[in-house]
Amino acid sequence: MKLLLRVVEKIRPHFEEGGKFHAFLPVYDAIEHFLFAPGTITTTAPHVRDPIDLKRFMSMVIVALLPCVATGIYFFGLRFIALIVVSYAAGLSVEALFSIVRKEPINEGFFVTGFLFPLIMPPAVPLWMVALGVAFGVVIGKELFGGTGRNLFNPALVGRCFLALAYPVQMSGSWLKPGAGVAGRLLQYVDGSNVDAVTSATPLALAKGGEYVSLSHMFVGSVSGSVGETSALAILAGGMFLLLTRVANWRTVASILISFTALAAMLHHAQPDRFGPALWHLCAGGLLFGAFFMATDPVTGPITSGGKWLYGALIGVVTVLIRNFTGYVEGVTFAILLGNIFAPILDEMVFALRLRRLKVEG
Amino acid sequence: MKLRGGYNIFLQGRPGSTIKAMPEPKTLYLPLSSKRFRFSAIHVADGQDVALGDVLATDPNNYDVPLLAPRAGSVRLGQVEDTVVLENIAKSQEYADTNGRMEEVQHVERTFGAAGAQRRRLMMLGAWQFLHEAHSGRLPDPLGTPQAVLVSTLSLEPFTARGDVQLQARLLNFTRGLEHLQSLLEYQPIYFVLPDIKSEFASIVRNHIRGYASVKMVELPLTYPYDDFAVLARSLGLSSGNGPVWALRTEGVLAVDRALTAGKPCVTRIISIGGTGVVSPGHLRVVSGYPLKCITDKHVFEPHPRIINGGIMTGEAFGPGALGIDTECRGITVLPELQEREFLGFMRPGSERSSYWPCFLSSMVQRFAERLTTAMRGERRPCISCNACEEVCPAGISPHLIHKYLYRDLVEEAAAARVDLCVECGLCSYVCPSKIDLRAQFVEAKNGIAREKAEMLETKARQESTEEVNA
Repeated sequence: MKLLLRVVEKIRPHFEEGGKFHAFLPVYDAIEHFLFAPGTITTTAPHVRDPIDLKRFMSMVIVALLPCVATGIYFFGLRFIALIVVSYAAGLSVEALFSIVRKEPINEGFFVTGFLFPLIMPPAVPLWMVALGVAFGVVIGKELFGGTGRNLFNPALVGRCFLALAYPVQMSGSWLKPGAGVAGRLLQYVDGSNVDAVTSATPLALAKGGEYVSLSHMFVGSVSGSVGETSALAILAGGMFLLLTRVANWRTVASILISFTALAAMLHHAQPDRFGPALWHLCAGGLLFGAFFMATDPVTGPITSGGKWLYGALIGVVTVLIRNFTGYVEGVTFAILLGNIFAPILDEMVFALRLRRLKVEG
Repeated sequence: MKLRGGYNIFLQGRPGSTIKAMPEPKTLYLPLSSKRFRFSAIHVADGQDVALGDVLATDPNNYDVPLLAPRAGSVRLGQVEDTVVLENIAKSQEYADTNGRMEEVQHVERTFGAAGAQRRRLMMLGAWQFLHEAHSGRLPDPLGTPQAVLVSTLSLEPFTARGDVQLQARLLNFTRGLEHLQSLLEYQPIYFVLPDIKSEFASIVRNHIRGYASVKMVELPLTYPYDDFAVLARSLGLSSGNGPVWALRTEGVLAVDRALTAGKPCVTRIISIGGTGVVSPGHLRVVSGYPLKCITDKHVFEPHPRIINGGIMTGEAFGPGALGIDTECRGITVLPELQEREFLGFMRPGSERSSYWPCFLSSMVQRFAERLTTAMRGERRPCISCNACEEVCPAGISPHLIHKYLYRDLVEEAAAARVDLCVECGLCSYVCPSKIDLRAQFVEAKNGIAREKAEMLETKARQESTEEVNA
């Protein structure tokens, strides 16, 4: 490793001020600091710092997503790996371009976006759409606002929302039947040309016609849907990890799940033949994935604890309303984006209350 | 008690309970500035011989708090910048003749009564500088009336001189000091802060102070920075609007006892020496102005050390020009400067990392003391709104919000968000995953706001005076 470090330090001057490749410093920086922890030291008190940094913080999310990736590959085939590769390649190019123009370091936030995005795609979606969607999400959803930390919307959801609105036919026609049998689709590469495997019916779409897929299938994940969202089991495993590491806040998750279940249960109780049971709805579609991985994004959600409860309640309620009372079969994407819009306002409210209390302190 | 936030950082090199006396120095270097004081009015001439306890300089902005000569010797001025050098330190410790100044004390006694005279004596003998105004952290007015007195035996920042070590060595002096403190007051309560008021040690202390009606014992969890005087005062419900709160630590009470019982100047300090880069962490008995080099030569083994005046959270690194211990030094912390860059550091399981965040394998085991360096351990990034700074903040403010205001130069909004309540404990900077120097920003903003306020008052006063002239 000493040798590698020496090589890295030898190349570095070429990218620094006055070097031939100075414009590409952000790219070089990202690679160097991926390999070796930066050598910066503290200049002011406190003289020591916690070992946490954004790289570690974001890698926790990626670790938490691994169960979903595993079930995704198991049920929908090896093509999912291609989805991830395309998503990373397209998104990273855009990210690097913006970093070079802006002369700012490449932010770790993209590594999560690039991983989340293919997980909320239909498994047989054309690869060019993945590239287009992630590029749109990164540019419009994040970079225009100033990059990770300053963005208003979850970039992955912006990308998905864009694709759903711009290419509704391709998106809704790219669902796959999950692999049957012990090996699933572990050794298969299935894309949209395989007519036998393609289906247009996700559990929520079927439910509009009154046909409910069995809960046990939805819990394990052997139903059609977006790659990462079908298996409640995998999401719960990863989500629990994320809550334990405190990267995701439990208040947001709890608030979404409670408000969603409560409203869905009320509706089902009022008109059992029109609205599905609450537990079924909980496992269907992208609700769990959204609650654990999307809504808990610290940047686009509220900061305050009070704000988080309200934000979660808003997302839970709006999801139920969209699912049951509009033409859309699934509403989690829209609900979370709506929550993102409200997050700063919710925070403002909590801050206003807090500042009133602080006024008399000290 | 309403306590918020707080977090303990475990660092290798906690000072042990031994107190070692350092050998007598040949030369003393007394810095003219310390954290609170600037001794700008010099009272001695170059080459003058002084006795122990003579006033070398005073700070005109802090009620003329004196800088006392810790030993007899001859003064050298201008040899080292911003420092009074004391050469040819005499072996015998002759005390300065304070009779001349006692007349002044009698004068004060006639004007302000016995308590006023006692306070004057504390000031002259160098004990008053151990007092703090709890809310502002400044030196309290010796003629003011406090609403309460805080006595804290805790020292939670890694690493400053431990109160329990000093207390156990001189319990009798301590209780006598409390008695003296009471005599300075009329009826105001003394809050005596201990980590465990049910312990055997506490009951011994309680037996000693049984007679003092106004001493109240307060239990406090051992979490940094609950020993901060501003945090303590606020959690006890002592608002700054009701008058000043005097606060002092164990060494302060011991100094009060020394000044009022023995009438001797307080020039000896017990400081800690700790941190990752120290051979045997412990406590040292030194006089102020003690040469720094004598201490580091003996205790520091690290080839590239950062030597900090105070603890790791609030201390300042000694500059290259620093030669001696200042009059406010409570400890020396030594950290190794970062030398190595870790390969794929962020991917490691992290069983050897002690973190606020449960993102490392080490969160499965009990918290442990880590061998920390001065590494930043990450790159500066924009705030990701993780709320960790607010969770640890003992002052109950929102550091992330104030940071965002200050980032956009909205100083007024930052003031409205009560940046002035910040106690500068440094925990927000410590836990920040984006490595933002929140503490440094807040200190700067607070100073700016205070300066602006002072200027506004000045212009107002000037306007009023011109109006008077015109009238």
